[in-house]
Formats: sequence, C-alpha cells, structure tokens
Amino acid sequence: MDATPNATSRFPASARDRVTGRVRYAFDVELPGMLHGKLLRSPHAHARIRGIQTAAALAIPGVAAVLTGQDTAQLPDPFYGVGLRDQPVIATDRVRYVGDTVAAVIACDELTAFRAAAAIVVDYEVLPALMTPGDALAVDAPALFDHPAAGGGMGVGEGSTLVCEPARNVLCDYTFGYGDVDAALARSAAVFTDSFGFSRINHFHLEPHVNVARWTGDRLEMWSCNQDPFVIRADLARVFGIRLHDVCLHTPPVGGGFGGKSYCKMEPLVALMARTANAPVRLGLTFDESILTTTKHAAVLTLTTGVDAAGRLTARRADIVLDGGAYADASVMVAVKTGFRIGGPYRWAALDSKARMVRTNCVPGGSFRGFGGTQASWASERQIDMIARRCGIDPFDFRMRNFLNVDEPFAPGDSGMDSDLRAGFSEMAELLGTAAPCPPGRGRGFAVGLKDAGGTGNHAQAVIKVTQGGEAIVSAAVVEIGQGAGITLCRIAAEALGIDPANVVYAGIDTDHTPPDNGTHVSCGTTVTGLAVEQAAREVRRQIVDFVAERLGCEAAAVTLDGWTARVGNHVHALEPMIRAWYGGIGWEFIGRGAFKEPYDSTAPLRAKNMAWMPCWSGAEVEVDRQTGRVTLHRLVVGADAGRAVNRLACHGQIEGAAMQAVSQAMFEELRYDGPMPENATPRGYRVAQTPDLPIGFTSFVAEHGFGRGPGKLKGIGEAGILGVAASIANAIEDACGARLTSMPFTPEKVLAALDRIHTASAE
Amino acid sequence: MSTQPRSFTINGLTRSVAVADQQTLADMLRDQLGLTGCKVGCDQGMCGACTVLVDGVPIAACSCFAFMVEGAAITTIEGVAPRDRLDPVQQAFLEAGAVQCGFCTAGLILSVHALLQRIPDPDDATIGHWLEAHVCRCTGYAAIMEAVRLAAARMIQAAA
Repeated sequence: MDATPNATSRFPASARDRVTGRVRYAFDVELPGMLHGKLLRSPHAHARIRGIQTAAALAIPGVAAVLTGQDTAQLPDPFYGVGLRDQPVIATDRVRYVGDTVAAVIACDELTAFRAAAAIVVDYEVLPALMTPGDALAVDAPALFDHPAAGGGMGVGEGSTLVCEPARNVLCDYTFGYGDVDAALARSAAVFTDSFGFSRINHFHLEPHVNVARWTGDRLEMWSCNQDPFVIRADLARVFGIRLHDVCLHTPPVGGGFGGKSYCKMEPLVALMARTANAPVRLGLTFDESILTTTKHAAVLTLTTGVDAAGRLTARRADIVLDGGAYADASVMVAVKTGFRIGGPYRWAALDSKARMVRTNCVPGGSFRGFGGTQASWASERQIDMIARRCGIDPFDFRMRNFLNVDEPFAPGDSGMDSDLRAGFSEMAELLGTAAPCPPGRGRGFAVGLKDAGGTGNHAQAVIKVTQGGEAIVSAAVVEIGQGAGITLCRIAAEALGIDPANVVYAGIDTDHTPPDNGTHVSCGTTVTGLAVEQAAREVRRQIVDFVAERLGCEAAAVTLDGWTARVGNHVHALEPMIRAWYGGIGWEFIGRGAFKEPYDSTAPLRAKNMAWMPCWSGAEVEVDRQTGRVTLHRLVVGADAGRAVNRLACHGQIEGAAMQAVSQAMFEELRYDGPMPENATPRGYRVAQTPDLPIGFTSFVAEHGFGRGPGKLKGIGEAGILGVAASIANAIEDACGARLTSMPFTPEKVLAALDRIHTASAE
Repeated sequence: MSTQPRSFTINGLTRSVAVADQQTLADMLRDQLGLTGCKVGCDQGMCGACTVLVDGVPIAACSCFAFMVEGAAITTIEGVAPRDRLDPVQQAFLEAGAVQCGFCTAGLILSVHALLQRIPDPDDATIGHWLEAHVCRCTGYAAIMEAVRLAAARMIQAAA
C-alpha cells in the first residue's frame, strides 16, 4: 500500500512509534541471560498453608530456583501496601484469595517455569471464605489477620477522622462531615433513604503486569510497567533494606493502566527472584493473573437526603460499606475518597458521611480511575434523580437549583469550585438536544459526577535542558500510560520558552535521572507537574536572557527573546552563534529546574486544599424493551472541563475512553464470584465494551472554563469521563419506563424485575 | 517435540526460521525475528492485540502455531510502511486520536488493512463488526471508527 510522503512531520516520534510498532513497553524488555518467572497461585479463597513440596519442581531441568513464603519472610520488610502494609511478598502462613501468590519459579523459559509451578504440591487446610462484607462482619467470622498491619493510614484534616483496623476484618473507618445533619433533616420537607450497589470491575489493561529485574552487585535495576516509579523505588528499598539510590526503576511507556499498575504489586518479588537466581528475571503475568491482581471496589452506599419545600437540598447522611478484598493496597485512600466525595457538586447545610472498608477473601481492591468518585457519583447522582422525580421536580432544574457556584467551597476549609457547573450542564443538555421532546418510547437521564483532582498536598519536579540550537528536553516522572502526558508537558514547556513544540521532546523515565513525583495518579500530570515544567522553562528563559545581557553588556530587562533570537532595541541577535562563540566545543545546554508543592493545611478536610475539582456532565437517551428488559443506549453526551485544553484531541480521548469504561460497567461488565470462586476471571469470560457497544450517538465535549490552577488556567481531565455516566443511564432508564435500578450492571433481568415491582405495586 | 527450519515470507522477505513444534506464531515473530510490534495481550485469541495478516487474513498470532502457517506470506505492523513513512491507516489513526497506550494499535491497523482491502467503503456497522475482534480499553472506540472512515475516504480518493 502506498505510504503518504512526509506524513510523519505532524506527530512527534513518541506518537508515531505507537502506530509503527516501534514503541517498546516493559513487556518488550529483554536482557542478556534473562530467565523467566511463573507464579503458583492459590486455588482457595482462604486456607492455611500446612506445607509446600518443591522437590519435584526443582528436579525439572532448566529450573533455577523456587521461592516460597519461607524465603520472602527472611526479607528485612516482607510486606507492602499503601500506608497500611499487610500484603506479603509471597503468602506465608495463609492464603487469602483465589489468586494469592504461593510460590515463584525461576527457569530458563516460561514453559519450563510453568511446568515447574504445576509440579509444586501445597498442602492446604481450607478455612471459611468471607466473600462479602456481610460475611466478614458476622459475629462468628474468623479474623483474616492475626496481627495488626505495619504502617498506618493517611493524614486527614478538620472535619475528617480516619481509624485503621478499628474492628475485626475492618481495614478502616473514615468519617467526614460538617453542620448538624439531624437538625437539618428534621427541618426538611421530605427525607429519602435509598441504597445503591456498585459492582466490582477489573481494569483490563491490555498489557498484563510485566517486570524485569537485574542486580549488579548490590544495585537493583528494574524495568516495570508500574506507573509510580518513585513509589516503587521506595518500596523496593524498604523491602530489601537498601538505600534509595541503590534502586533504579526504568519506566517505559505503559500498555494501559487505569490504576491497575499503580502502587506496589509484584515488583519486590521479581527483584528477589533475580537476586536468588543471580540473573536477570522477567515475570510477565498472564491476562488471567492480571485480572486476579486488583479490582475497583464493590460497594453498597446508603444515602439519607433531605429536601426543603423550595426544592433545595438540605443535608445528607451517608453510610458506605466497601469491599476491600484480601489486602490493603490503596483501600484506605479509596475509603477516604468515597466518604469525602459523597456530597457531589451541591450545596449542603450539613453532611455526615461514614465509609467503612471491610476485608474479605476477594481480589484486593485498589486504585482504579476516579476511585471513590465513581462509587460516590453513582449513588449520589442516582439518588438526586430519584428524589427529583419523587418530589415532582424536573431532574434538570433540581440540579441547576442546587449546584455550587463558581468559587464556592466544596466543603468548609476546602478550595472553591473551579468549574461553572451550570454552564457545563447546559452545554450537555444542548448537545443532547433536550429542547426537543424525547422521541416516543425513549427516556433521558442526566448526571453530574464530581471528584477532587490533583492530589492531597501533592508535589512534582521537572528539569528542562535547552541546547544552543533551541532544542529542549523535558524530564519529569509523569508516566506515558496513553494519556499523551509527554506531548502536553512539552507543549507547556514550548509555550513558556516561546519555541516551536516540534523542538521539544519528553525524556525517558528512570529514577536515577528523572526528578521525582508521587506517581501518575489523580489527574495531576498537567496541573501539578505542569506547574513544575512551566517554572523550569521560565528558569531556562531567565538563564538565556542573563547570558545574552552579559554578552552584549546590557540590562537583562532590555533583552526580549523571540523564537530562538534575542532582540535588544532594534537589533536582532541569533542565539546559536552567540552561545557557540562563548562556549566553543560541543556547545552548551541551559538547564532549568522547576518544583511545585501544595502545602499541607490541617484546616482542610483532606489535610490539604484540593488542587482542582473535576465535574463530569453526562446525558443519556435510552430505549427499554419492556418484553425482554433490554436497554439500548441511543445517545450519550459526556463532557468535562479542562480549564484550558492544551491538547484538545487528547482531552476528547480521555473523556471518551473513560466514558466507555463507565458504559461497560453500567451495561454488562462485572467481575463475579460464585461462592468462593471467581466466576468470570478470564479474558473470555470477562466481557468489556467492544465496538458494537458504542452508543449509537456518542458525543464528548471539552469545556474550557478557565479557572484551573495549572499553566494558563488548565487542569487535569483524565478521570472525569468515568464519573456519573452510569447514573445518567440508570436515570434515563427510569425516565423511559419507570424501572428504578439501584445496582449495576443494568441487565435485562434487573430491568424486568424492576418493571415487575412497578406492576406489583400498582396492583396492590 | 522437535525444532526444525521452516520457511515463511515475512513482510516481503522469505526467511527460514528454526521453529519448535509448540511455538506460536506470536512467539516466533517476537522472539526469533524481533518483530515486537506484535503484542500479546490476553494470549487466548480474544483481545486482538497480536493480530497479523497471514496471506492477507487477520489471524490471532498468539493462538496459531507457527508450523500451521509455513509457506504463508505474513504481514506484521513493521511491514505496513517503509521506516520513514506512515501508510494512510497509520496516519488516520494518529489524526483521529485513535491511539492512546498503543498496545492494541498494531493489531487494529492490520485488521483495518484487511477490511479496506475487501470492502473499500465500509459502513459503520461493517467497521464495528470487523473490529469486534479487538479490545481497546483506552479510547472508547469512537476515534477508532473515525480513523477507519478517514483512511477509507483517503484511500478511495488516492485510487481514483
């Protein structure tokens, strides 16, 4: 087929490499002499390990070593987790979920390692499996852990409390509130209590978890698919009792993550495998294993919400129970964020929220795009709609009446709303065409999801190097996970430097050279790191101006940089000859550093004012087949506010990708258990959205309200599109046929059952 | 099980490769030939990431033994365009924003080639049906659909 000449110029190499097959992920890393690992995993949800026989595995030719919990227990600190560290590098005395790691094999190739893993014999004493929070909280439930976990929770501020391990099988209790909820509810004209179920879903990133480790002397190098290089460096140093600078993490582009590749997972184990085998080791999980690594948290959220006679929200009480699964991972943070975000984008006189994270024998819950915000937005936006309908108020007007204003604080002590909620909601309605009547047989539903973004007291640093020829390289730790972070950060640098973005590249990431950040999370890349990049670029600019002033013997204030020239009065000086003339040799690089830190503030509920707010405006139009219960999603409009869109195409991509993950969860996707066994934890059994699932009319929009704190008033957008979309679809279903769904996914069976309930109620 | 040399035409070049009986096409391409643009996602023939063209037909390379395609012409993403060029499908994927993490992209581009070879002007239902063999967890598919429409229009125009 004919290739388009010169077609390559419009897109940077980092983008072109993704369509030519040249991009190399951790999946593609190959080192000389590299061995391969495979893990043996628990077939039981909960069991005591009585003994492990590894002799048969070790006897297989090509097997270098087998590791069990007895080996990992010898490590200086063999546990990991975010804050609370309860997950052993390999299960030692007990296994706590189907998929828990029991042994690790290192062999000459994957096939041999796989055979050896199958030859290991484990003697289990099966224990009662606690598959739901109800099971785990039952009075006769066994304790899943014998000892308190190492580490602690996270700091919270005024209005919040956080207690870790307050009761048997409870990981943590978080509370958040202000005002007098009882009094406000007593004064309300109507009070509604409803419960909502949120389903467990997997990230389903296409590149399974992959890590490659190599020790050179006492120094550890890893190539990891993890999106948090500096978090993992700290974990590895702690687990092995070595210095931070004796660990170097290389982070190539990541083949999809959505949170599934954040925080410590099997990295310490792979490092130990390499040290034991005295050779580089690659551990690539199978897709099935990746599904059993971490999930989004299932939850039940019970909301009691009051409305006054004028249709204004008064107060809300929230009782949230989340299924944390077998190990802590990021669950403490998820509990905090769910409880904190339950009020949504509205004004309340009082709020009283309690979120309890319960340990079970399911796959560990962890970070997943918008965590906490997705659970809270689903329940809150579903209930807001149900309240409006029960009060006879138009659900659109009801929201418009209750939105926070621009600059109005989300909660006492926190930052103000930095989006125009009404403008975004109106834009959504216009795109959905709500001025025209809904086609017969269809229903429309809306939702406004909301979460905070940018992190809690977050920080980032950046370094920019600029050559004499005006080429710049930006170095920061925001990992390329498909969001196009590098391109956006390069554009921010180019803006501040006043040069062509085509002359700016994003450096590869390794912890020896890259300035640190807290990880690629919480839609912070363009805001938090963006500010560090902008500052670094300004610092470079200042150095160049000073250099020119010194060379020309004028005041710095008299120098104006324009492209890659310096203007002083009426004279234009090309920079490159001036720099070369002074430095000689190979020339010179101006190096600028930038840093950003959001200060802690104990008067804010999360111990720091939130950097940004992230609304998601969603509108759906559906048709429900009353005979079969099948829902057809005819229209979906989803929008978010980028403050200022630096890369508009990428913003649409983030919104649409996130929205389709939400559609998938709303309509069919769910990781199910059948008793103690995962029912569909395979790529074939686990259904995710594919092309035929696209809504017939699907529109995304990127608002630019211009209130962000990032460079040029931008703010992050990566997680927005997943918030509230499911609620808008359920609200549309109720609008279409009256079926009141309160749990996901919206299967035909659930729709029919809800329709039956209406008929039963009307017959009574 | 044995290993023996087998002949394949790979991206236009005839090659003899020492292939083990149990070796998949994906492993042969990646491990022996260094064609790592072929990505293995689910390894069960479901996600489409490893799709390559075998005599012009999209095949899941993870679920096909190498010996089964002995003598066939195999096209991988590396063979779609010369090193310094982009072909119209690759170009359209970039322009439409159909690429995020990129792990699914090579397989998708090869399937789109096969589609447009057979049906130069497919309607949306046909595109959707063809690409149902692929999972993209990043983009939400709308941009991919747009990329296929864009590539089709350009290729028809170029052929006219």
